[in-house]
Amino acid sequence: MKHLLTTLLVAIAATFIASAQTRIDGKVYDTQGPLIGVNVFVVGTLDGGVTDSLGRFSFTTPKSGELTLRASMLGYEDYTRVADAALLRNLDIRLREKAATIDEVVVTASTYSMGKSAQFKTLDALDVVMSGNSCGDIVAALQILPGTQKVGEDGKLYVRGGDSEECQTFVNGMHVLVPYSTNVEGQNQRGRFSPFLFKGMSFSLGGYSGEYGQALSSVLPMETTDVATGDKLGVSASLVDWNVGGTKAFRRSSLSFNADLTSLGLYNILFPDRNDWTRPYRKLSGEAQFKAELSPRTVLKSYAGYDWTAVGLHQDGRILTMQEHNAYANVTVNSYLSNSCTLFAGIANSTVLNDIDGALVAGDHYHNFRNEVHLKADIRKRFSPAFKLSAGLEDYIRNSQKRYEESGYDLGYNLLAAHLDANWRIVPRLFLNLSLRTENMSGSCEWLLMPRATLSFVPGERFQASLMAGRYSQCPADDPLARSHGQLRQSLADHLILSLQYSTRKTLIRVEPYYKWYHRLPLLAKGQYVPEGYGYSRGFDVFVEDASLVKNLQLTAAYSFNDSERLYLDYTTPRIPSYASRHNLRLTAKYSIGKIILGLADSYASGRVYPAGTTPYYNSLDANITWLAHPKVIVYASLNNILGRTNVYRINDDGSPVTATRDRFFYIGIFISLKNNKAYDISNF
Amino acid sequence: MTSLISNLRTLVFFFLLSAPLCFGQEQDITTQIAALKRMEAMEPDNPSPKYQTVLACLNYAVMNPHAEPTERLLAEAEQTLAQLEQMKNADQSNNCALRGFLYMVRIVQDPATNGQRYYLEVQQDFEKALKLNPDNELAKQLQQKFQEGMRQAGR
Repeated sequence: MKHLLTTLLVAIAATFIASAQTRIDGKVYDTQGPLIGVNVFVVGTLDGGVTDSLGRFSFTTPKSGELTLRASMLGYEDYTRVADAALLRNLDIRLREKAATIDEVVVTASTYSMGKSAQFKTLDALDVVMSGNSCGDIVAALQILPGTQKVGEDGKLYVRGGDSEECQTFVNGMHVLVPYSTNVEGQNQRGRFSPFLFKGMSFSLGGYSGEYGQALSSVLPMETTDVATGDKLGVSASLVDWNVGGTKAFRRSSLSFNADLTSLGLYNILFPDRNDWTRPYRKLSGEAQFKAELSPRTVLKSYAGYDWTAVGLHQDGRILTMQEHNAYANVTVNSYLSNSCTLFAGIANSTVLNDIDGALVAGDHYHNFRNEVHLKADIRKRFSPAFKLSAGLEDYIRNSQKRYEESGYDLGYNLLAAHLDANWRIVPRLFLNLSLRTENMSGSCEWLLMPRATLSFVPGERFQASLMAGRYSQCPADDPLARSHGQLRQSLADHLILSLQYSTRKTLIRVEPYYKWYHRLPLLAKGQYVPEGYGYSRGFDVFVEDASLVKNLQLTAAYSFNDSERLYLDYTTPRIPSYASRHNLRLTAKYSIGKIILGLADSYASGRVYPAGTTPYYNSLDANITWLAHPKVIVYASLNNILGRTNVYRINDDGSPVTATRDRFFYIGIFISLKNNKAYDISNF
Repeated sequence: MTSLISNLRTLVFFFLLSAPLCFGQEQDITTQIAALKRMEAMEPDNPSPKYQTVLACLNYAVMNPHAEPTERLLAEAEQTLAQLEQMKNADQSNNCALRGFLYMVRIVQDPATNGQRYYLEVQQDFEKALKLNPDNELAKQLQQKFQEGMRQAGR
């Protein structure tokens, strides 16, 4: 009887509860039809349901009276309705597709991003090392990209018809005065930074925002790796360089060092070239990094590096000996505040000392000292998913001294700059970046105003179209500035770029026509530099990267057409700059078989025009092989210019050609991790 | 104290829901994530439901790397993890473990392409998680599983 009574009470209670439940049901659609898997629920409760294959949902809730119903699904705007529970029957809910926020869309126009952050990765540190003809040099590896010109005699970055000085390098947002190590003419000047320092690079070929200045053509911002999580120690050796480096990781900080000796002495004995060396190329460098997470949202990064380079050879009946000291250091602090606000502050110092004996005639001496202090502060704030703003201040303090025999100069000036950048999603899929940069060079009352704009249409993940326009400036080089008697002002370039990109997970196609107008370039007139030079550079770049044709095979093709002309420096009439070639083509292939990676690269550049003649075309077919011999050992070998073509770099005024000092270059190196719990991770840095 | 109770409630709720997941039914995982998202809406400032959402998505994805809902769940995990990383009261060690787990799933999906791309990232994320909290069991277990997997792949 007792049991029966209990059952009866439970049944009555259940009936009562059931009767207190309110049913909510309906269908959810988007513009294409019913939506499956939409989460429909009463806000503040766990009561809800998920739509089925026909977009239907149905659930009950004990709530009654007014309640808030929400329907949500990834990629769609939330639907919210406040109504009496009894009215929420047979609902027809239409969800609207969510527009991508400004943070979600990465506009890639005119920029090649490398590193893990990029959706489509083009290069990381290992790719740089394994790139066909790079021999571990970032600058050489970047030359597989379109828009870069092949200039064999110095190996520097020349972008879209611009001089190498027009491309500037930044480490953690801070300027590097001289990013190359020195060398004699006809020898590649390698970038001075190890690729293993960086987690990301963002090589912009033009049209960059207001944050970057003092570059007429392009910028190469690089971001160093984060605080290390584990200890590392590694060594590497090759025929030309020997390296030791390591990292000590602490709880919230890490300290790294790297020491490197590069010497071509042994190599020149084994494989003599056309030069008569008195002192084979030697470079001794040391680098250190300290990184710390001062708080979970504040990161401090510091870097200090020093290179000493020396080289000497017999040239035109004299002994030319050169020596360079290049020191660079920076400290940056990045703090992520609440309210989507970020603060950045940094300071960098570059000091470069060059001494040359026998520079022009036997017994002469050339001395050059250059120093730059770069100060920078930025604030960035995201006001909404559709709008963010950044503003910053910069100061460049530059000093330079030059002595050649009895002549020379002392130069010093200050450059103040400010910028304001706004990123705005005008309507879904249409983005606008507007920026304004202003600069003032000491000794001039002129405040340059440089507006820049990028309008991007991003209809989906695969396609992007952007139109970029803007004005860019750069102080003239020290020599023309010192010889202008205060007449020279900042040189200017106006960029107009159209970028079209199609990408899938394994294929990238990009086409970019561009036009650049140069004004106020330094021009030598009657022994004095005046800001009356001018010019243009126009053309288009095509880049195709594919990893879908054959498994484990990655192919790239980069073609650049450039038509440029300028009147500057000592030119007497407008002409094609001597570093510019009309056609540049690079083809690369990388194929992995187990633990072996094979690479092949071909670089072609059409002839370059000099007053005394035009050089023949440049071509170099390069091959490399990487063997992951052991989780802690990587062996790498490369042979540049397999076909042994004698490339002509320049035509002298007397019509004689200047050729490469050697036709082929063979490199073999081994990287060993002495301490590292990660396999195939280069431990030097 | 409120936070502790809330975390416990989420944990109990998660375990109650985790039973159907073992059957690997797509409907179950969708229902489970939906329930967790409702909890998130109830307590938007509590990192716990978000942590469980990411973990549930990644658990499903690593067991079913090529199933139909996997890409959607990975997108959900990525978005929710990004929100977690912005929360001041979220456990940074857990966030690192989840970030490593996310990259680990990407490697499981396509070892040939993503192995080289994310390998170091996974290792560093687990290392960092354990540096911040040496007792983080999730990070310990995932790191061990990952290293075992890499050893097997290396043979």
